[in-house]
Amino acid sequence: MKLAVWAYQAPAHVGVTKAASSFSGIHTVLRAPKGDGYGAIMFAMFERLGVVPPMTVSAMSQETLAGAAADIGRAIVDVDRRLAPEMIVVTRSATAAVLQEPLDGEIAMIPAGTVKAEIFQPDTHPVRDTEISAFAKTVCQIVDHFAVDGRTRTLEPSVNIIGPSLLGFHDWANVESLRRLFDDLNVKVNAVIPLGASPADLRAAGAAWLNVTTALELARPTLERLHQRFGTPYLETVPYGELGTTRFLGELSQILEIPKERVRYSARNAKLGWYARTVDAHALSGKRVGIFGMPSAAAGIARALADELDMRIEFAGTFVTEEGDWLRSRVSDLCSEVLVTDDFQDVARAIDRTRPDIMFGTQMERHSASRFGVPCAVISPPAHILNFPLGYAPFLGYDGANYLGDVVNQTQVLGLEHHLIETFGPRGQGRFAEAAPEGKEEAVPTSSELNWDPSAERLVGRIPFFVRKKARVNIEKYARERSIAVIDEATVIAAREHVGG
Amino acid sequence: MFDSGADVIERDDFCSLAPIGWLHHKMQDSFFLVVGTGSCQGFLQTALGVMIFAQPRFGTAVLDEDDLAGRDVLTALLPVAQAVVAEHAPKAIFLGSTCTPEILKMNVAGCAPAIERETGVRVYPARMDGFDASYTEGEDHVLLAMVERSPTGNDANLVILGCLSPIEEAEIRLECRAMGLPVPSFLPDESALNLPPIGEKTVIAPVHPYLYQTCAYAARERGARIPPMVFPYGPDGARAFYETLAAAFGKSVSYEERERGAWASCEREVEALRGRSIAFCSDALLELSMARTLRAAGAHVPFVATPKVYKKFHALESQRLAGVDVLEAPDRFAVFARLMSEHPDLVVANLNIANALEGMGFNVKWSTELTFQPIRGFSGAQALFAMFASAVRRHDALARGRASVGSEVNPIDLNFFRPERHRVPERIA
Repeated sequence: MKLAVWAYQAPAHVGVTKAASSFSGIHTVLRAPKGDGYGAIMFAMFERLGVVPPMTVSAMSQETLAGAAADIGRAIVDVDRRLAPEMIVVTRSATAAVLQEPLDGEIAMIPAGTVKAEIFQPDTHPVRDTEISAFAKTVCQIVDHFAVDGRTRTLEPSVNIIGPSLLGFHDWANVESLRRLFDDLNVKVNAVIPLGASPADLRAAGAAWLNVTTALELARPTLERLHQRFGTPYLETVPYGELGTTRFLGELSQILEIPKERVRYSARNAKLGWYARTVDAHALSGKRVGIFGMPSAAAGIARALADELDMRIEFAGTFVTEEGDWLRSRVSDLCSEVLVTDDFQDVARAIDRTRPDIMFGTQMERHSASRFGVPCAVISPPAHILNFPLGYAPFLGYDGANYLGDVVNQTQVLGLEHHLIETFGPRGQGRFAEAAPEGKEEAVPTSSELNWDPSAERLVGRIPFFVRKKARVNIEKYARERSIAVIDEATVIAAREHVGG
Repeated sequence: MFDSGADVIERDDFCSLAPIGWLHHKMQDSFFLVVGTGSCQGFLQTALGVMIFAQPRFGTAVLDEDDLAGRDVLTALLPVAQAVVAEHAPKAIFLGSTCTPEILKMNVAGCAPAIERETGVRVYPARMDGFDASYTEGEDHVLLAMVERSPTGNDANLVILGCLSPIEEAEIRLECRAMGLPVPSFLPDESALNLPPIGEKTVIAPVHPYLYQTCAYAARERGARIPPMVFPYGPDGARAFYETLAAAFGKSVSYEERERGAWASCEREVEALRGRSIAFCSDALLELSMARTLRAAGAHVPFVATPKVYKKFHALESQRLAGVDVLEAPDRFAVFARLMSEHPDLVVANLNIANALEGMGFNVKWSTELTFQPIRGFSGAQALFAMFASAVRRHDALARGRASVGSEVNPIDLNFFRPERHRVPERIA
């Protein structure tokens, strides 16, 4: 038993439901106490679905505990008759699994011909699997179930895009961005899996020339399975950033034999690289960032920020602990610290310790960072309804790279403004004066052996609030090393000369 | 078995852990320690996430495989409770048992005395499983745990039962003074330690229709008097509520004038609802009371779908709703069919089908909001009607805007994501 107030991942049955219900023509029946079905509310709210969410709870009741049959058969028959899906995916929550109801037996008892839909139970574990592992397995098993052998490849070059789903992070826009790229290259999209793919699309999954993904950790089993069965090659590169997208298209065009000029043409609207050259972006050099999120996003965005904007990565990390080694292999040249943890407090501590100029994280990091006055952009789930924008806000492809530039721009403290504040201190009545009124600033523990002269206090008070704490720490460290008992203006100046800041 | 269209699939019902959202705000010195699965934790995070960011005075002791395999509950739970006390220093812990402990017959409640002894903090064991309880009844289970712990008393006193905002409490306090009734105690109060005495001379006035278990316990075990209630929703409900309180203390007071005045102050909102038809298919257990006052306001209520009706506890509300079809725990598709044939002006529905109903062309009022608003008493009546009136006005305004251009909205469904949506159809190309 462990106390949890907040978790990066939902339980396994949510992963199964998210995967299965994202296909079109597939409905999930969840055996669980009714409260476990809160995923339906997320579909309805976050994705703003104007239809009944494609999942149904077969609710356990007091009678169930008293030994009544689960009657899952009736729920299945009902869903089949009323919604006529092609497949009904049956799964159960951890609570339902504890009761060990004989669901298989009940399903077997449904008279033949009563249900038109196929009934499918994904092989996932309600306790040991996580949201992400259960999602990845479910997608793979459903694709594997439908995919038909012996299909030839499509006439024209085509790809499956594997990974996007309902409740995915900016997935609609990511798919749209990739589609625009593929249109330029004359590459057809064979299927987007699972988001919107129908069983008919899945039967033809082997017809694609190449499989690509929007999140490797969600797609790996499917990519490998399709490679095994159909010899379909796949790209592990997820197109984050302008360079990442160019790398992605380079790999893709080699496999699909697309002429180089055509690939170059597809980059005609890419602006991130040029933005980095413009004076506006010069101030980004050496800005320190922390990154935490899904592995593909963390790796892709870390590379883009470091390689394309010359930012310094203080740490990169992920909560998908089983992907920690993969992330290390992708970013260890960029940062000394790769943080692999599913405890949000660990990440909060890393933000506190490193005090990056910008944090890139999940909704939780946005919250943690705000406690330390660190601006944060959200680049990964767990998300908030704010991360389901109506407009086109992709993170992938060239459009995604442009958008990433906007995100950086809108999150950081702007260049010239920053200089002026650093030079003159936040004395004006501008936004910084409002943002950090004196009383609201975090208390800085003052060491007992050190005394601050009022003149030194005044000077430090003019340092911008977001670096003030760090400056104080540096000055005190400097004073302590030199056995200075009273910190005065001279100490501050000397410390600045020696340790910077 | 397989050819019946009976009520088998989900009842569109929220988890009964949800009231933790308002109860932990009400009782500022409490901590809600839920013993359950990652799913309970996930629900709390998703449903109450915003509040977690503000102040995590609730958490889930997540059962791991050892716990499921039969490890002693107290051994596992005590260190968690101790950590909660060390970190949050609550004055009281609500120890919530959920579905999984119930299945496993884990005696979570039985751990309460030992935890209380070890930590020195009061522990209320509350059954918060959602097998049969509606989501609002989570509050019932928490209050039941408090009443079980409340002292007995021999003096006549008045207990207002149910979580209220300070403004709603203030109205009741003022009215009681005006009527010369005892100063009321509120349960829950601002401190989780505040428990009113409950004995044979106690009158308990529940303000919500979802507090049946607590009332039944207080009547059965303490001999407390719970007069049949019309709940204080809308001017008509408020009048009946106060007159009932007075009668319980042997006073005859008429609130007729007061009710008339309240209706007059609500006129702007009520005017928007008069003659409109409003159907309910939600699960807050407030449906009967809301429908009753909306009908009194001149709206037409074609039917009310609600998870359950307590025959005796809801008797007066049901009487006042005579003639309205009340469907208990109906099948969701049967309700859809009914809506299709009636086509009401407004549908009050749960979160998980609200957008779907909008997609079908209905004008929907999100029902969960009903439980979060200070809408009780005379002073809350305007806010109550405003929730419905604003939904009606909003719908009319949007329809006017659309009609001026003559276009239709595109509800999002799974086809929205399919590739062919991006091709120009041949008939257009």
